[in-house]
Amino acid sequence: MAQPDRPWTAFYGPGVRTDIEAASYRNLPDLIRSVAETYGNAKAFTCCLPNGMNGTLTFAQVDEMSDALAVYLREVAGLQAGDRVAVQMPNCLSFPVAVFGILKAGCVLVNVNPLYTAEEMERQFTDAEPHALIIVDMFADKIPAATRGHPIPNVIVTRIAEFFPVMPRGIVGLVQKYWDQSVKPVEVAHLRLPDALDAGRSHIARDHVEVDAYHQPVTHDDIAVLQYTGGTTGVAKGAMLTHGNLILNMEQAMELLGGDLKKGEEVVLTALPLYHIFAFTVNLLAFYWLGGRNILIPNPRPLSNLKRAFENYKVTWMSGVNTLFNGLTNEIWFRDTPPRHLKFAGAGGMALQSSVAARWREITGTEVLQGYGLTETSPVLTFEPLGKAREGTIGIPVPSTEIACFDDNGKRLPIGETGEIGARGPQIMKGYWKKPDETEKVMAGDWFLTGDIGVIDEDGYVRIVDRKKDMVVVSGFNVYPNEIEDVLAGHPAVLEAAVIGVPDDAAGEAVKAFIVRADPGLDTDAVRAFCKEHLTAYKVPKLVEFRDELPKSNVGKILRKELRAEQMAQLAAE
Amino acid sequence: MVDEFTQTLLGLMVAIIMLGMGASLTPRDFYLALRRPYGLAIGVISQYGIMPLLGFVLALTLAVPETIAIGILIMACMPGGTTSNIFTYFSKGNLALSVLMTVTSTVAGVVMIPLILLLYAAALDLQIPREDIVAVLIVLLVPVAIGMGIRKLNANAGAVIEFCGSILAAFFIVFIMATWVPQNWQFLRDTTPSTYVAAIGLGLVGITIGYFFAKALRLHPRNARTVALETGIQNGPLAIAIVIFSFPAEQQQAVMAVPALYSLFIVIVSTFVTLVFRRANTAAEQKMPDSLL
Repeated sequence: MAQPDRPWTAFYGPGVRTDIEAASYRNLPDLIRSVAETYGNAKAFTCCLPNGMNGTLTFAQVDEMSDALAVYLREVAGLQAGDRVAVQMPNCLSFPVAVFGILKAGCVLVNVNPLYTAEEMERQFTDAEPHALIIVDMFADKIPAATRGHPIPNVIVTRIAEFFPVMPRGIVGLVQKYWDQSVKPVEVAHLRLPDALDAGRSHIARDHVEVDAYHQPVTHDDIAVLQYTGGTTGVAKGAMLTHGNLILNMEQAMELLGGDLKKGEEVVLTALPLYHIFAFTVNLLAFYWLGGRNILIPNPRPLSNLKRAFENYKVTWMSGVNTLFNGLTNEIWFRDTPPRHLKFAGAGGMALQSSVAARWREITGTEVLQGYGLTETSPVLTFEPLGKAREGTIGIPVPSTEIACFDDNGKRLPIGETGEIGARGPQIMKGYWKKPDETEKVMAGDWFLTGDIGVIDEDGYVRIVDRKKDMVVVSGFNVYPNEIEDVLAGHPAVLEAAVIGVPDDAAGEAVKAFIVRADPGLDTDAVRAFCKEHLTAYKVPKLVEFRDELPKSNVGKILRKELRAEQMAQLAAE
Repeated sequence: MVDEFTQTLLGLMVAIIMLGMGASLTPRDFYLALRRPYGLAIGVISQYGIMPLLGFVLALTLAVPETIAIGILIMACMPGGTTSNIFTYFSKGNLALSVLMTVTSTVAGVVMIPLILLLYAAALDLQIPREDIVAVLIVLLVPVAIGMGIRKLNANAGAVIEFCGSILAAFFIVFIMATWVPQNWQFLRDTTPSTYVAAIGLGLVGITIGYFFAKALRLHPRNARTVALETGIQNGPLAIAIVIFSFPAEQQQAVMAVPALYSLFIVIVSTFVTLVFRRANTAAEQKMPDSLL
C-alpha cells in the first residue's frame, strides 16, 4: 500500500518493504563474519586480468585473511579502535582483504584514489591522518612525497596479482617489473601484505587473540569509512559514513533491486573502481552480502580488457557509468556476443543517456536501471524499479528514504515544483570529517541538500534537471546542460558530448557544446540543425567545438568544470 | 645445414609457439570472425592473394637458383605470424583483428598453402613435396587445438601458455641467429645478393602493399595499420619447420635460406614500420578516460 506522504511506495515490487527499521547486523564486521559462515567455500572474489590470468578467494579465505590483517594492525602495528587506515589500490584481491581487515580491527577505512598525484595524496593524508597505509606497489613511489605533511608509520605494500596461483603471479610480476616498468622500488620502510598476514596469523596461534573483541563495541553510529569527495564547493572533504549508513544503504538498494537476484548464485562484474562509493556499497558490500561472486577488473581501459571476463564468467549483473555502457555498446566483440546470463545492470555516478540505455537494451535484451545518490548518501537514494522505469527519471526513492525539493531559502517546495533535491534517511552521512562548517552548509535540519536541481512528480519519480552550479542562464532562461547533451548523444555521428555556459555579451551566457565525433564529417551547422529539430531556440548551442576527447573523472564522469576553467582561462588571456 | 639436435629443438619450439597461438583463442573468436566475413576476406586475400603473388614476382624477376626460389615461395605462402600481434600492439593497431587474422589464416592454410604453392611452383616449373607439406601443416594444427582446449579448461594455464608461446617466438629469432647462422656462414657469404633482396623485400613490400590495399578499402587507420603488418609479417618458424620436415637434407640449406633470413630481417623491418606508424597516427582511437583505472 502506498503511503500518502511517500507515493512512490506504490511502485515497489511485491514483497518490498517500505521501511528498513533495524539493520540485520550489529556492524560491518558482524556482517562479514556471518556471510562468510554461510557461504564458506564458495567463490567470493575473482580478479581477472586482460589476458585471462586470474586468482580467486573464497568467502572463508577472505574471512581468515582479514582476521589476520586485523590482528596485525592491532597487535603488531599497535593501532587503536577508530584509527584511520588508508587503502590505495585498483580492484584486486587485496582490496576486500584490506577493507574487511581494517573494519574488523575497529579502525576507519580511508579510500584513496590510486591515480592521485603525490600532492593530492598529501592533502588527503594531512586531513585524514591515517596511521597505516595499504598500497599497491605500482603507486608506492609516490609515498615519500605524499607523506611529508603527515608521516605514516605503517606501510603495507601489495600487488595486482596478489593471491594468484604462483605461475601467473610470477609472470605478471615479471612483466610489470621489466616490460611495463610499472612497478617501481618502494623507498620507505614497509611490509608486504602476505608477510603482514603471516605476522597476524602467528599472533592468533600464539596468543589466542579474539578478533571479534576488536569490533565488539562498534555500533551503527561509529564511523566505518572516510570517503573523500570534491563535493559542491570544490574543497576535498571526507564524508563520515557509519557502519549503520553502509549496512542500511546496502539493504535499501537490494530491497528495491534484489527481487530477481538469487542468494549465492549471482556473478557480478566489477569494472568500476571499488574505491568509489557506488561500487564500494553496491558491488563490494551488497553482492558479498548476497553471497555473489565479484569479478574484479583492475583496469577496464581499453574496454577490450573486459573481453576475457565476459568470456570466462557467466556475468549476471554489472554496475557501470554512462561512459562504460556507451563504450561497450560501441565495441564490436560486445555487440556480436553480448553476455547471455545478464539479468540487468545498474548505472550510477552520472546521468545515463536515454540513447545509451536504448542501445544497451537492444544489444543485450536487458535493462540498465539507473540509480542516483552522492558520496554523502552512502550513496544510493533512488533507483529505477525493475519493469517500472520511466524514461528521463532516476527512479523512485529506496525504502526508508524521503526526497523533496527545496528553494534557495531552504524552504520545502510542493510536489511538481523544480528546486534543489534534498534527502532524508538512514544513509545520510554523519557529516564531513573535521569540517562542521561545511557540514552545516549542506544540511537543512535533518535534510541533506544534494546540490542537484530536480523535480518530483506525483508518483514520486525523480527527474534530475542538472547540477545547481552547471545551469546555464541564457537571457534569463534556464538551460540545463544534461538536456542538451542527451539530444547530442542521440546524433549518430556524436560519440560523446559536454555542454557548458560561456560568457556572452548579448545573452549573458551562451551555450557551448564540446563534441567527440564518431564520424569526422560532422560539422557545426549539422550539429546546430539537429539541435533545432529537438530543442527550443535558446537551448541550441551557439558555439560548437570538436575535440579528440573530453576531460573525465576517475569513474568516467565528464568534467564540465574543467572545460569551464579552460574557457575562462582562455578568455582571461585574450 | 642443420644438425639433428638443432632440428629437433626447432620442431619442438614451433610446436610450442603453435600451442601458444591456440591458447590465445576461443571458439567465440571464430564465431566473431564468421559474423563479419568481410574482415576475414581481407585477411585471406592479403595472406594468400597478395603475398604469394609478391613471392612469385620476386622469384621470377630475381636471378636465384631453383632451391632459393622454392624458399621464397614457401615463405610467401605462410600464414600470419604471432609476432605480428606484438608489432600491432606497439603500432596502436587493432589487436583483436590481428589475432583473428593470424589464426584464421593459419587454419585456412591447411587447404590454401598446398594449393597456392602448387599453382605457383607449377608456373615456375619447381618440384615441391606437396604431401609432406600438408602433413606438417596438419600435425602443427594439433597443438593449436590442444592450446584452445587448455584455454577452455583453465584460463590461467591458457594465459601462461599463450605468454610462453609469444616469448618463445621472440626467442626463436635469437635461436636462429645462434645456431643456423654460424652453421651456414659460408653459404650466407657465397649466396647472391638476390637472396637478401628477396628476404627483406617480401616483408617490406608486403607491408606496403597491405597498407595501400587496406586504404583502398577505406578501412579505419587503426585497422589499416593492422592489415599492413599482418600481410607482411609471415610465420617464419612455420616455414622453417616445413622445410626441415618436408625436404631432403641436401636441399634444406638452400631452401631454408630465405625463411631463415626473412625471420631475422622481418624484426628489423617491422620495428622500423612500427615507428613510422606510431608517428603517423595515434588519434582516432576510441578512448576511455585515462583515470578510469
